[in-house]
Amino acid sequence: MSTPILKIENVSKRYGKKDVLQEVSLTVNKGDLKILIGPSGAGKSTLLQCINFLVKPDEGRIWLDGQEVHYAHKHDLYAYRQKVGMIFQDFNLFDHLNALENVRIGMVKVRGMGKKEADKRAVMELERVGLKEHMQKYPAQLSGGQKQRVSIARALAMDPRVMLLDEPTSALDPELIGEVHSVIRDLGQSGMTMIMATHQIGFASSLASEIIFMESGRILEKGTPEKIFCHAENARTREFCSKITELYGETR
Amino acid sequence: MEEWLYIQNEVYPALTKGFWVSLQLILPSSIFGLVIGTMVGVLRIYGSRPVMAAADLYVTLFRGIPLVVQLFIWYFGLPYFSIYLSPFVAAVLGFSLCSGAYHSEYVRGALLSIKRGQMLAAQSLGFSKVQMIFSIILPQAVRRALPGCGNEVIYLIKYSSLAYMITCIELTGQGKILASNSFKYTEIFLIIGACYLLMTSVASIVLSRVENRLRLPGFEHHRI
Repeated sequence: MSTPILKIENVSKRYGKKDVLQEVSLTVNKGDLKILIGPSGAGKSTLLQCINFLVKPDEGRIWLDGQEVHYAHKHDLYAYRQKVGMIFQDFNLFDHLNALENVRIGMVKVRGMGKKEADKRAVMELERVGLKEHMQKYPAQLSGGQKQRVSIARALAMDPRVMLLDEPTSALDPELIGEVHSVIRDLGQSGMTMIMATHQIGFASSLASEIIFMESGRILEKGTPEKIFCHAENARTREFCSKITELYGETR
Repeated sequence: MEEWLYIQNEVYPALTKGFWVSLQLILPSSIFGLVIGTMVGVLRIYGSRPVMAAADLYVTLFRGIPLVVQLFIWYFGLPYFSIYLSPFVAAVLGFSLCSGAYHSEYVRGALLSIKRGQMLAAQSLGFSKVQMIFSIILPQAVRRALPGCGNEVIYLIKYSSLAYMITCIELTGQGKILASNSFKYTEIFLIIGACYLLMTSVASIVLSRVENRLRLPGFEHHRI
């Protein structure tokens, strides 16, 4: 068996007395698309943020490509974060930079690429998410769906090994969700490894290699979409899935 | 006729000289003040604990002690430690440090207004803290701090008149000498008032030009 791209072992996080994550372990292989589902407060966001150490886990170890990440070493941490792309619910574009500059800045400042080369790459990534004609616009001039696509292009420009997507479409109105989903679908088909938290289970089940149900900081159950949505073993999983199906539509 | 000669031979040359001294005080002080203010503002938010405490102490002292007292300390106090500053240098030092303390508060406010999400995004791309501050946070914070900092620059132009208290004879100092010789306080200080008004007006035009130059979609002001 080949080494997994990302391995997470017994990651725990406490805020005061509250356990937000309890010994979560996860193995992600190349090309996997893992979908995290679960109620708010289940720890999905915290898990994703722990994976690239935006939140420092209290315990647990993480390996990327078989190499353990020593996040206390700043150099290692910055190098690791470059390889782990992150997409946020509320886009988090840099407000003072236009779309092109948003995509370019990481390549120039972090990877030390020349401006011309970075420009070329940025244009290419914006083209890939269908925004070439909007590249001179500032975040304030873009729609939500466009902003999220810029943020995806920004992450892709760093050549990530894994992408973490934290409810990428939760802040979008229904008409704009489709454009972001189609970008994510293309990414998946091109072989990008992803971990995504979402409530869009219709979309999730059509793409996911595995669905992970989380509650109270633990992974309660995981399996293929078919298993989780149709034959879940855990009663809580079944309850959550039936509720969310009611809300967000059919699983297919 | 006599009046005219007095103006031509005494008032005009004295005030022109004072005006230049004032400008020489104001220009470097406002630049140093802005630089100090920006640095201190950044340190007060992103510095380590001891650095933060030191920066806070700086602001408490230099914002809290009357400027005249500060100038006296630089000019009359430092010689006790065998440090002798010229009146001009003492004045520029005093103005810069005082102005920096006020600027740092505007910068701090602006830094706090930048949403945390953008910092998370920068970190997730692999930015170091310093890179994040200089290429993501400060360029936005400067835009938000500008109106406040402009205010401080205008204020500096006026409090530069305190330099004459430590024998750095600038515009107000020259005026005071003229007025006490001729006893024409009203006339001379009206002229001086007009000179300051001229400087502050030019400064506010320059500042609003700068604001316009830096304006971006998302940072503009909206008419309601």
